[in-house]
Amino acid sequence: MNCGYGEKLILYFYGEADAALAAEVSAHLAGCPACRGELEALRAVSGRLAPEAPRPEVLASVMRTARALAGKRGRGPVFGWRELLLSGALASVLAGLFAVSGRPSRELAWNAGLDSRLDSVEYSVYQAQADFTASAGDWDYSYSELEDESLNVKDNV
Amino acid sequence: MEPTDAELVAAFRGGDPEALGLLMERHKGALYGYLLRLTGRRDAAEDLFQEVFLKLVRDPGAYREREKFAAWLFTVARNAALDRFRREGARAEVPLEGDDGRPGPADFAASPEPGPEAAAVNGELGARIDAALGALSADQREVFYLRHYSGLSFKEIAELLGLPIGTVLARMSRAAAALRARLEKDAQ
Ligand SMILES: [Zn+2]
Repeated sequence: MNCGYGEKLILYFYGEADAALAAEVSAHLAGCPACRGELEALRAVSGRLAPEAPRPEVLASVMRTARALAGKRGRGPVFGWRELLLSGALASVLAGLFAVSGRPSRELAWNAGLDSRLDSVEYSVYQAQADFTASAGDWDYSYSELEDESLNVKDNV
Repeated sequence: MEPTDAELVAAFRGGDPEALGLLMERHKGALYGYLLRLTGRRDAAEDLFQEVFLKLVRDPGAYREREKFAAWLFTVARNAALDRFRREGARAEVPLEGDDGRPGPADFAASPEPGPEAAAVNGELGARIDAALGALSADQREVFYLRHYSGLSFKEIAELLGLPIGTVLARMSRAAAALRARLEKDAQ
């Protein structure tokens, strides 16, 4: 492009131009089909570069390692009195679920925390759930550690 | 108020593994989208995604709070991808030279972008855009994908890449010109 606005146009498109530069580029665009064409191309391509979701297993396997290591290091979450009360209440609910499903529902807490936009109250509840599940049982940690061995873990991380 | 990235890392460092879950959930779409574009392969992108977060799991101190978390995340992701390109390249014994002689994303064996022929045949806009992106130089594509997926500013991307901001903007501008030329040609 010969008009010399190439980099200014980039700053403009990505919202990094200050008010004066934005006005300058706007004025230039009216008389420059090349810049208008680039802007159009940038818009089209931006629409194509959407976020992509990894399979849930990918995240779950990282979480298994994280929980296993937290268990191994014995640096479990610190309980506040409020969390303690909440987790007591949640424990009975989760214990019921455990009885039905036959395994500690760690994924439940995991999902519950993620799908909602957490305000502070929800976050406390989430924390309490997390605390409860984190301390749900040692057998689960050893299970996780076993799984950890077969994880897709890079040696050079 | 949602906890900030730095607060979540601190909570994770303090012993709450679930904080990591929130952090991953928050960044998964952008990071995985970036890695998928970079590698062109789901299996490779998934491996790298895990590698990035496992680095934080093993060494929560690797991220320092004065840094923006996204900057740390995409720096680690980019380095991990480049390492992988080198390893895979060495195994496959294919030439690994990028535009400036360094290995780069374009050197990765497989690409998600269909070739120009495929794009012309199917004529669909998405395929044409993919082909146009595939035709960019490795350097152009690198800054382009970083800007689109990381949400970092050009200044932050320049720091991440260790380049002057002028170079980053010049690459972006050349990329935009190339994309326009390609897409306009396709449209005729
Ligand atoms: Zn112009």
